[in-house]
Amino acid sequence: MINLTDLSFAWNKQPIIDIKELTIKKGEHLFIEGPSGSGKSTLLSLLAGVITPQSGDISILEQPLNLLTASQKDTFRANHIGFIFQQFNLLPYLNVLDNITLPCSFSGIRKHKALSQSKNLESEAIRLLNALGLDDPELLQRSVNELSVGQQQRVAAARAMLGSPEIIIADEPTSALDSDNRESFIKVLFDECQKADITLIFVSHDTSLKTHFKHSLKLQEINQATIKEAV
Amino acid sequence: MAILSLAFKSLLNRKLTFFITLFSIAISVTLLLGVQTLKTETKTSFMKSISGTDLIIGSRGASSQLLLSSVFHIGSSTNTIKYETYQDIEKLPAVEWAVPISMGDSHKGYTVIATNLSFFDHFSYANKQNLTVQSGSIDDDMFAVAIGADVAQKLDYHVGDRIIVTHGGGEIEGHDHDNIPFFVSAILSPSFTAIDQTLIISLEAMEAMHTETHDHLGALPGETLLDSDHHEHHDEHDEDHEQHAAHDKHDEHHDEHDEDHEQHTAHDKHDEHHDEHDEDHAQHAAHDKHDEHDEDHEQHAAHDKHDEHHDEHDESHEQHAAHEHEDTQDQRIARLLKLKPENINAIFVGLTSRHAVLGMQSYVNNFQGEPLTAIIPAVALQELWQFFSLAESALNIVTTFVVLVGLLGMLSIILMSLNERRREMAVLRSVGARPSHIFGLIIGEAGFVCLTGILLGVILLYAVLLILQTPLANYYGFYLDINMLTSNDLFILLTIQCSALLIALIPGALIYKYSLSDGMNIKF
Repeated sequence: MINLTDLSFAWNKQPIIDIKELTIKKGEHLFIEGPSGSGKSTLLSLLAGVITPQSGDISILEQPLNLLTASQKDTFRANHIGFIFQQFNLLPYLNVLDNITLPCSFSGIRKHKALSQSKNLESEAIRLLNALGLDDPELLQRSVNELSVGQQQRVAAARAMLGSPEIIIADEPTSALDSDNRESFIKVLFDECQKADITLIFVSHDTSLKTHFKHSLKLQEINQATIKEAV
Repeated sequence: MAILSLAFKSLLNRKLTFFITLFSIAISVTLLLGVQTLKTETKTSFMKSISGTDLIIGSRGASSQLLLSSVFHIGSSTNTIKYETYQDIEKLPAVEWAVPISMGDSHKGYTVIATNLSFFDHFSYANKQNLTVQSGSIDDDMFAVAIGADVAQKLDYHVGDRIIVTHGGGEIEGHDHDNIPFFVSAILSPSFTAIDQTLIISLEAMEAMHTETHDHLGALPGETLLDSDHHEHHDEHDEDHEQHAAHDKHDEHHDEHDEDHEQHTAHDKHDEHHDEHDEDHAQHAAHDKHDEHDEDHEQHAAHDKHDEHHDEHDESHEQHAAHEHEDTQDQRIARLLKLKPENINAIFVGLTSRHAVLGMQSYVNNFQGEPLTAIIPAVALQELWQFFSLAESALNIVTTFVVLVGLLGMLSIILMSLNERRREMAVLRSVGARPSHIFGLIIGEAGFVCLTGILLGVILLYAVLLILQTPLANYYGFYLDINMLTSNDLFILLTIQCSALLIALIPGALIYKYSLSDGMNIKF
């Protein structure tokens, strides 16, 4: 499903990523543990195809990314990968509904898939929000600034899942949440990924979350580039 | 389209900076277009000052000076030509009409020009429009004055009002020609030319004011002084001889007053009213002259009409008091003499054929009698306008910079927003936006702000023009014609829009670079 081989990436001649091999299977929920500076942001950018490795190959869904042009990679990402960030996932000038349906502006495939689930994008957004534990229908038209951080992360998760991408990459999605919210967020995320058969890559420095995952790995162990990333 | 809608929503999210940018662009656009409009309108109004006149003839000198003094009534009017020259020019076969113009007096700061009645038939402005009267009528009376619309409005004059003309520009106190009062016979409609600020009198009246009649107050009963004085004129001017003859006849008439009644049947009634008044002599004398001169028939007819009028309205003497019954002694003398001036300032000439213009111009420039200059008004106006081209370019430069400042304001506001928007860009990248989308977002925003600014600017321009139109016409005599945007204006607007898009390349390129280097990192 996702294969990295002999991957290396350097920024300003400093090697940041150097991974011999990494394979992630379809439907796997993988926890990647990495403190800040371990190169996890760079790894995610490489997986997203927004940066290109100096050497090595990344192939996702049997598609070698290095064979794609930059704009093909953008389209590929839009079609197949959903992202959840640590914070500020949402565009402040769009309401909740528009934020959730944003991927459909860039991916016809995901729009098509979303519409095959529900009669329109709005009801699909409501369905996903309900599944993620946000069942207030008025929420859709609200400004995202009025939401709590926990609600914002669930809206972000709904957006990542809309149109059933094959992969969801979550970058510290729970670090802004308190522990109760954290537990329930991970639970609904797992459930929904399970149902939609989505491969989940969950990156965090918080080792306590590792227990929720069947598969986990430490980035420091597979990444041979040891220079600290300055972020 | 999705990107455009995003750009729009993103912009609305930053309402304050958006509106500030919008207004700075709108105001600069209004200013730029306003200056363009004013420039065009000033030029049009300037070029419309005179039309239908093929040549203006004056004394030898700079053509701009002749144009300024004869058409705009600006500058000195000390350069004169002989009245005889006018008579010679008028007789030329190529000349369809010729109107003499004389200047030098003023009334409360407004120029007084002296001419003859044909001025109203031949002088035209804009698209060969003749002067029209808004109240009263053009009167052939020697002391009638037709006043421009502005003069009437500013000084609150009405038909029938008496006015005194001042010698020269009015700089020196006490040079009023108060011995020769005029009555307002007509108020001209606004023409938005210099005529609006002008009073038009007859050449004879102007000559009467400038003849030293002050010395002869009380001379009428004796009249010996008068004769000797005016013989000076007779020596020089043939025409004066005729007038002198009229005068002589008048003298006889005066002597034989009683027996002459039959001759003056038209004035019988008049005489009954005014037997006791000396001024009748003046009237009679004038009429005697009419008898002798065919060319005066019209005037005579007018007088007859006047008399009829008089018959009908015996009881309304007051109405006519202004110009008939209260003539001063100097006016009575002037009426007797009907002196033509020795000198005038300019001649407006209409030719029988347009093709004759150049030939006529060279004929006049080589005129035998005295050194003359003939100018073609359209050409001279164009030449004169060149003087203003420096001011015009200065204005252009200033307004261009105003627009540039407006656009730079937009640039700085977009640049300032970039840092906080890097997060927004990363989110968009994560959902599949290409760097080109991000770039388009910035360019689209700049384009939208500028386009809205331009539209608002155009709306503001027309609002300002509409608001200013009436006061400009009323207080400055400047008629602002509100037109559609010219192709030049549209070109300017297009240039502004393109400049905005070009300027937006700077933040566009920056955000493109950020979106590549930031990758999926959300920078805080």
